[in-house]
Amino acid sequence: MEQYLTLQNIGIATGFALILIGLYGGLTNKNILRIIVSFTIFNSGLNIVIVALAYLKGRVAPIIDDTTGLDNLSQKFVDPVPQALVLTAIVIGLGVTGVMLAYALKMYQNKQTLNINDFKETKW
Amino acid sequence: MVNPVHIVSIGLAAAFLMSLAGKRQQNILAYFLMIAVGAMSFISLQWLMEIYSGGAGREVFTAGFKPPFAINLRMTMDEAVLTSIINIFGLFSIIYLFDTFKKANNHLLSIFIIYLMGLNVMVMTRDLFNLFVFLEIVAIATAGMMIMSSDKKGISAGFKFLIASSVISGLLLLGTLFGYTYTGTLNIDMMQALPLIKGGAVALFLIVVALVLETKPFPANGWALDLYTSANHGVGAMLSVLSAPAIMFVVYKMLPVIPQDWQLVISFFGIITFAASNYLAIRQENIRRMLGYSSVAQGGLLLATVGLADYLGGSFYFVALGFLLTNLFAKAGLFWLGGIVNSDNMNKWGILRKKPVLLLLFGIFAAALAGLPPFPAFFAKWELVMQLGAGEGWGWIAIMLIGSLFEIAFLFKWVGRVFKAENEENAPANFAMHKQIPALLLGAGIIAASYFFIDYLNFNLTFVLIPLLAIAAFFVIDYAPAFIKNILLIGALSFYGYMIYPELQGDIMKLVFAGIFLIGGVLTLFPGFSAKGARKGFYPFAAMTIFGLLMLVNPADNLTFFMGWELMALGSFILILRGKMAEKPAFRYMLFSAGGAYVMMAAFAMLNNISGAEFFGNINIPANTAGIIFALLAIAFMLKAAAIGLHIWLPGAYAEAEDDATPLVSGVLINSGVLGLVLLVTSFGPQTLFGYDILHIMGWIGAITAIGGNMLAIYEEDMKRLIAYSSVGAMGYIIFALAINTKLGLLIALYYTILHFIYKTMLFISAAGVMHRTKTRNMYEMGGLIKSMPLSFIVVLIGIITLAGMPPLAGFAGKWMFYNAIILKEWYIQGAMIFFSGIVAFLYLYKLISSVFLGQLKDNHRKVKEAPFYYIIPQLILVMAIMVLSVQPQWLMQPLSTIIPASFAGEALQWDGNLATLSTGYWNAFTIMSVVMAMFGILFLWLVYHSRKAQKVKQFNIVFAAEKPFRPETTHVSYNIFAAYKKALGWMVTPLATRFWERLSDIFTAIADKFRTWYTGNGQTYALHLLIYAFILYIAISGGKLL
Repeated sequence: MEQYLTLQNIGIATGFALILIGLYGGLTNKNILRIIVSFTIFNSGLNIVIVALAYLKGRVAPIIDDTTGLDNLSQKFVDPVPQALVLTAIVIGLGVTGVMLAYALKMYQNKQTLNINDFKETKW
Repeated sequence: MVNPVHIVSIGLAAAFLMSLAGKRQQNILAYFLMIAVGAMSFISLQWLMEIYSGGAGREVFTAGFKPPFAINLRMTMDEAVLTSIINIFGLFSIIYLFDTFKKANNHLLSIFIIYLMGLNVMVMTRDLFNLFVFLEIVAIATAGMMIMSSDKKGISAGFKFLIASSVISGLLLLGTLFGYTYTGTLNIDMMQALPLIKGGAVALFLIVVALVLETKPFPANGWALDLYTSANHGVGAMLSVLSAPAIMFVVYKMLPVIPQDWQLVISFFGIITFAASNYLAIRQENIRRMLGYSSVAQGGLLLATVGLADYLGGSFYFVALGFLLTNLFAKAGLFWLGGIVNSDNMNKWGILRKKPVLLLLFGIFAAALAGLPPFPAFFAKWELVMQLGAGEGWGWIAIMLIGSLFEIAFLFKWVGRVFKAENEENAPANFAMHKQIPALLLGAGIIAASYFFIDYLNFNLTFVLIPLLAIAAFFVIDYAPAFIKNILLIGALSFYGYMIYPELQGDIMKLVFAGIFLIGGVLTLFPGFSAKGARKGFYPFAAMTIFGLLMLVNPADNLTFFMGWELMALGSFILILRGKMAEKPAFRYMLFSAGGAYVMMAAFAMLNNISGAEFFGNINIPANTAGIIFALLAIAFMLKAAAIGLHIWLPGAYAEAEDDATPLVSGVLINSGVLGLVLLVTSFGPQTLFGYDILHIMGWIGAITAIGGNMLAIYEEDMKRLIAYSSVGAMGYIIFALAINTKLGLLIALYYTILHFIYKTMLFISAAGVMHRTKTRNMYEMGGLIKSMPLSFIVVLIGIITLAGMPPLAGFAGKWMFYNAIILKEWYIQGAMIFFSGIVAFLYLYKLISSVFLGQLKDNHRKVKEAPFYYIIPQLILVMAIMVLSVQPQWLMQPLSTIIPASFAGEALQWDGNLATLSTGYWNAFTIMSVVMAMFGILFLWLVYHSRKAQKVKQFNIVFAAEKPFRPETTHVSYNIFAAYKKALGWMVTPLATRFWERLSDIFTAIADKFRTWYTGNGQTYALHLLIYAFILYIAISGGKLL
């Protein structure tokens, strides 16, 4: 049991839990703002999974200094790429959230409601 | 060479600059945007030119590192083509949306160029995470364009799109990162070694499912449909022709990483999307939504092609480019025309008729999208079906062709509406030049693309290219007066006949059918001389019909034959549609034609495995080896020849076509079906299907068709419908004769074909003349026309004597041979049916001549004159032909006998001068003619002698009983003349076939109506669809084995 409770696994499990919570919230909430919040939770979950995937126990941040020396760096460092990517992913998530909020505003202005069931003009 | 990365830098810089602009610069921003996109186009075009002329592509390493340490972009032929398409189409879109851009604030312009830039990078990048980023950028830009350019409906659709794209990109991100964990790289080319064990397979699956979901697969595409439905037409066009192909290309890029069996699954899901979306589109009334369904369907077709890339091998580019370019030009063109018409209501589209050029464009786009020749999708579809056939993918072919049929259904319903919808004055159309010109450019684009495809395929000059050019020429000169075009078309046909004669010389079969199509074409054009004005839209399609028919005569391969077949169907569809009440019959005609054509295509795909592309008329298939092919081809041809059950399109189509177009689409065109059947029985031996002898079944079909057609004819009050049904009967004879499959049987079929062509064309032209003068088609509104239209009367008389097979005219020869052939074949029951139908024919023939020409002249017809001169000429020529045939039938029959393959069973007709002999009897046409003429002469003289003292009575010198008729037609002697027969035999004409097909169509539309409610309009439901789809795809790909 103990061996599974690594930081990485906890991170991944938390991430996936958040992803599922986010998805569930996005699919069941009727209020558009709540839907948007759910999707940000979904995104956070994704980001946590990414970071957790890159984390390797016992390794350090990829910065060369006195403690790391110059040999076998790839064995000592955690992989920096996913962490760089996660920054991009966060920025994109922010962008999408922003656009969604802009839509929420417009939708509210059009119909004075935020219930997603009231926005079915196009169907079939 | 400008570095391709500058496409990105220009896009970004322009977007930033424009977002800084203030109100003052607002009015020049649109021009600035155009320049920026122009520069992007220049870069991609320049690479296209360079690579096309043999230059190398370019690998761009950003940040100075090589992958996997940095992102690399690639510019090879594929990317050059796609980025050129994206940027140039973007440029056109700016022109098209110019008024929107002028009014919009600067952010819309920024977003627009970001969208284009994002698509460029999606195409060029080789890095998976970069791909994810730019997919998101494109998604945000799409949402931005939606929010800034569309109406209230568009806002909620945009939000649904965002929900869907969040879910999809979440899957993609997850897959990308897992992929990275397992391979240590984000570079697509280096990922190829992705181990498919456990996590690797899941990672790959997540990537694949995200990309597939981005292609808007059925049924997880409600969000996309809503987007198309509410997007500004210009934006919708870009979504359909830029976003969709870009994502397809991404899938294509990923193919090396995706295992073969996954590729097949994806491809199959694509085909399903194609068929299902086209199916659901048939119930659409809203044009933009219909285009949305169609876009999704085309996307499915592209996805299927991409998934089959490895399988298609060398054909892949041909097929993919065919679909891609068709979608690019035709779909975008339809979207843009939608913006010009400015209404989603199909009924408002009649406004296009005010602008003939736009109408033509619309027709081109619709035909191109429907995959009709000579447009690229036609060739692409053919190639794809042939290739699928080579791998025995019959299920794939079936799904694809059924989908294509539905595509024809909604597209041509729409075409019919455009041609027929009432024109309202207050239509909201917007004919601004900056909207028309880009649409015209797309039209030019599709024509250019067609040119390249045709050029690539190396068609025969005389038998394909010249006819195509001739058809095109008649579109160009359509503004000329009808008289001139008539002369030109007759001249062109005559000259063409002169041109091809040397090539056909010696091949009687080809000469016979070329003769029917050419002579028939020319003769049926004659009445056109009395038309006034320009008669716009008639001649191009008449030319298309006739030249299409001529392509059937001497094709080098099955493709050419099929192309001619489709051209003829399209041309005649428009000719029929030109009739006043023709919308529904023309639509029905098109559906049946297309159905038959696709059955034929499937048969050709099967034949391709046996004998290659070689024209099926030139080969010999051994007996009992190809039953299914034989049966399919027989169905396709019998459909055109209107065998019973498949005939319901015929009466409406022939009756509602313009009066002088009817002879062409009936008397002449119906012979294409006969041509097919004749070729079929001569090149295939007798075939069996499930143990049944197909020819035997055909014999029964022929006999039932003969009775059914004739029975239907006798109750008709409509002159054209009566003659039309009689065609069904005649086709029954021919099908029966072919089914006999002896030397004599084939001879009868060929002889009867020619004879039917002559008398049916004659009768229809004559009827056209009568209807031209009396302005009605109802026979009970005519009567007593014998005195005012004596020539027409004589022609009809000769026609019906021939038809009835009475001596002394040529029809008797046919009947005589029929008796003998049936006796020799010993098909007694069927034979009895054939003879019974001959008696039935007497009834309607009597009705035809008596109610039109005999009896009382109608008051309003007292000033009616003989049919116009140009109607009479062709009739007289045809009468002459009948007379010659009646006296000297051997002039025709002896050459015909030489066509009959020696392998055919039975004895041949022996000729000795005029004397024809068989073991069962003999017959001398000349003697019979002499005897009958002598009898006629004696009786005639006797009659003249006896009636010399008869008192002449004026027509109205009669006192009628003072009876007010309930309905005026009931006073006509021949109205409902066969009521008694109807009571006795009416059950035989219960419209079973019509009911069957109508019920079938009702069921299909009802189911489509039910199924489309799947798209509830709720964004959350759509997101759920995505997840369900992902699950189903997972099951399909892994069979549950992945985890």
